[in-house]
Amino acid sequence: MLLVPCPNCGPRNQSDLRLVGESISRPDPNTASREEWGAYLYLRENVADWQTETWYCRAGCRTYFKAERNTATNEFRNPPMPGDKVGSGTYITPSVGQPQGEQS
Amino acid sequence: MTAARDLLKRGNKPARYSAATLAKHGLTGEIWPRVWREPEWKSTYDVVIIGGGVHGLATAYYLATNHGITNVAVVDKGYLGGGGSGRNTAIVRSNYLTPEGVAFYDRSLTLYNSMAADLNINVMFSERGHMTLAHTDGALRTMHWRAEVNKLQGIDSSVIGPEDVKKNAPSLDISSHPRYPILGALFHPPGGIIRHDAVVWGYARGADHHGVDMHQKTEVLDILVEGGEGPEGKGRGGKVKGVRTSRGDIHAPIVVNCTAGWGSLISNMAGVKLPLTTHPLEAAVTEPVKVFLPTVVVSGSLHVYVSQTDRGELVFGASVDPLNTYSMRGSLAFTEELAGHILELMPGIGKMRLLRQWAGLCDMTPDYSPIMGFTPVEGHFTDVGWGTYGFKAGPVSGETMAECIATQRTPKLIAPFNLERFSTGELVGEKGAAAVGH
Ligand SMILES: Cc1cc2nc3c(=O)[nH]c(=O)nc-3n(C[C@H](O)[C@H](O)[C@H](O)COP(=O)(O)OP(=O)(O)OC[C@H]3O[C@@H](n4cnc5c(N)ncnc54)[C@H](O)[C@@H]3O)c2cc1C
Ligand SMILES: [Zn+2]
Repeated sequence: MLLVPCPNCGPRNQSDLRLVGESISRPDPNTASREEWGAYLYLRENVADWQTETWYCRAGCRTYFKAERNTATNEFRNPPMPGDKVGSGTYITPSVGQPQGEQS
Repeated sequence: MTAARDLLKRGNKPARYSAATLAKHGLTGEIWPRVWREPEWKSTYDVVIIGGGVHGLATAYYLATNHGITNVAVVDKGYLGGGGSGRNTAIVRSNYLTPEGVAFYDRSLTLYNSMAADLNINVMFSERGHMTLAHTDGALRTMHWRAEVNKLQGIDSSVIGPEDVKKNAPSLDISSHPRYPILGALFHPPGGIIRHDAVVWGYARGADHHGVDMHQKTEVLDILVEGGEGPEGKGRGGKVKGVRTSRGDIHAPIVVNCTAGWGSLISNMAGVKLPLTTHPLEAAVTEPVKVFLPTVVVSGSLHVYVSQTDRGELVFGASVDPLNTYSMRGSLAFTEELAGHILELMPGIGKMRLLRQWAGLCDMTPDYSPIMGFTPVEGHFTDVGWGTYGFKAGPVSGETMAECIATQRTPKLIAPFNLERFSTGELVGEKGAAAVGH
C-alpha cells in the first residue's frame, strides 16, 4: 500500500488518509465571475507529473497538509515537516468531484 | 471515384466469418488475411482522431458510413483497444438516473442489438439481465426513482423484492444474517455483457474497410493551434492546424480527443482545461467453473459487482481507486476488500481462486456524465469523461460525434453533455447510477 508522508505522524498507510485533491486556490467569492467560480470548483490540471496536493490525515492527527506526489509513478518528494502551513494564504480545495463510490 | 468503385467491389460490409470459410482455412492451411491494413504514413487528413479505443474507432466508422467522410486517421500511442476498451468488464445497460442519460445510453443499446449484423462480427452480446442490489432504505429509494425515470422512457426496469432477487441469482444470500442484508433490487432485463474486444475489432475492421487509416504506435505529442488567446496561440479562440506525433506532423482542420483516461493531457495540448481527474479502476477474474450466475449483480453499498462469462469465469469489479494517478498497478487492498464483500453476498464461492487482476484508467467527471462536442478551440472536438461507464456508450458516441463533426451542429442527444455546463452549473448528475455499477 502507498505510504503517505504525514508531517505529524510520519509515513502512514494510504487508507488512513483521504486525498482531497490537487491544491488550488479559491477566488474571492464576492468578486469571482461565474467562469472563475466554475473553474475553481471543477477544472483540474490532472497532470501526469509532479502534483501538489492536499491530504487529510483522517485516522491519525486529523490535520490537512500538502504533499508533492508524482501522479505517473506515485513517488513522493520533499515530505512536509511538522508546522508546515497548509498553503500560505490559499484555501483547501473542496471535495467536489472526488468519487466517493457510495451509490445512494 | 476509384475509392467508390473499390467499395462497390468489396461490398458495403467487411467479410463475414462463416463456418464455410473456417472449414476452408482449416482444410487448406491457408493463412488468414490481415484484418486491417497497416497504412502508409500520410501528412494530411480531413479528420484526425486521437485514441484507438471503442470511441475513436466508432467515430471514424460512422464518419465514413453515415457521412461519407473517409479521409480520416485514427492515431494511438499503443495498440487498438489497449486502453479502457480492452480492460473493462463489458457491462451494457441503459437504466440510468437522468432522462438525458437514459435516452443516450438506450440508443447505444439499440445499436449494440444490431451490431453483429451491421459489422459482420460476432460480438457475443448476452442480454442476461442486470440487477442492482439495495441494502439500505436510501438505496431502495434511489432504485424506485430510477425505475420511474426509466419506465417513463420506455425502458424495462423495475424494483423487485428479495425473493425475486433469489430467483434471478440463487447463489445470493438474502437472509438477514449479513451486515448489509439484501432489501430488494433494481432489475433491468435488457442489460447484459458483451465481448468488448470483438466490438473494438468490429469497428476497426469496418472503419478500415471504408478507407480509414489507423496508425498504431503513434503518440500525439502536441496539438497545433493558431490564433488562440493562451500561450503559443492555443486556447479559446484558436484554430486547430493538426497534430505533432512521434512519427511526424499531420495537418488536419479537425482533431478529436477520444483518449478517455489520458483526456486531460491531450486537451491541455490544445489549451483547453477539462474537469477531469484520472483514477484507476481495478477488476479481477476467477478460474472458470460451471455456470451458476445467470445475471449481472451489482452492489453499490458493498462497492462490488460480478458477472459470469460464457467460459465460466467470475468477473469482478468495484469503484475507482481513491487516488488520482496514471499508474495502472493493481493493489492488494482491492482484492482484499473485494473478497470480503463478495463473500458477504455469495458465501458459497469461498473456495474459488482468483486468476488475474488488472487496472485501467478512468477519466472521472464531477457529475459522472461525459463531456462531448465542441470546445473553445475551433476544430478541436472532445469525447471524454467516460469514467467507469463509457464502454457501453461507444456506439452512440461514435454516431453522435460523427454527426457533430460532419454537420458542425451538436446533436440533441449529446447537447446536455457540453463542456460549458461546468460554468453554467447545469450538471447532469449520474452518480447514483454510475458510481459502482458501470
Ligand atoms: C476495470 C474497468 C472496468 C470497466 N467496466 C465497464 C463496464 O462494465 N461498462 C462500461 O460501459 N464501461 C466500463 N469501463 C469504462 C470503459 O472501459 C471506458 O470508459 C471506455 O473503454 C473508454 O473508451 P475510449 O475509447 O474512450 O478510451 P480507451 O479505450 O481508454 O482508449 C483511449 C486510447 O487513447 C490512447 N492514447 C492516450 N494518449 C495518447 C496519445 N498521447 N497519443 C495517441 N494515443 C493516445 C490510448 O493508448 C488508448 O488506446 C470500465 C473501465 C475499467 C478500467
Ligand atoms: Zn497525521
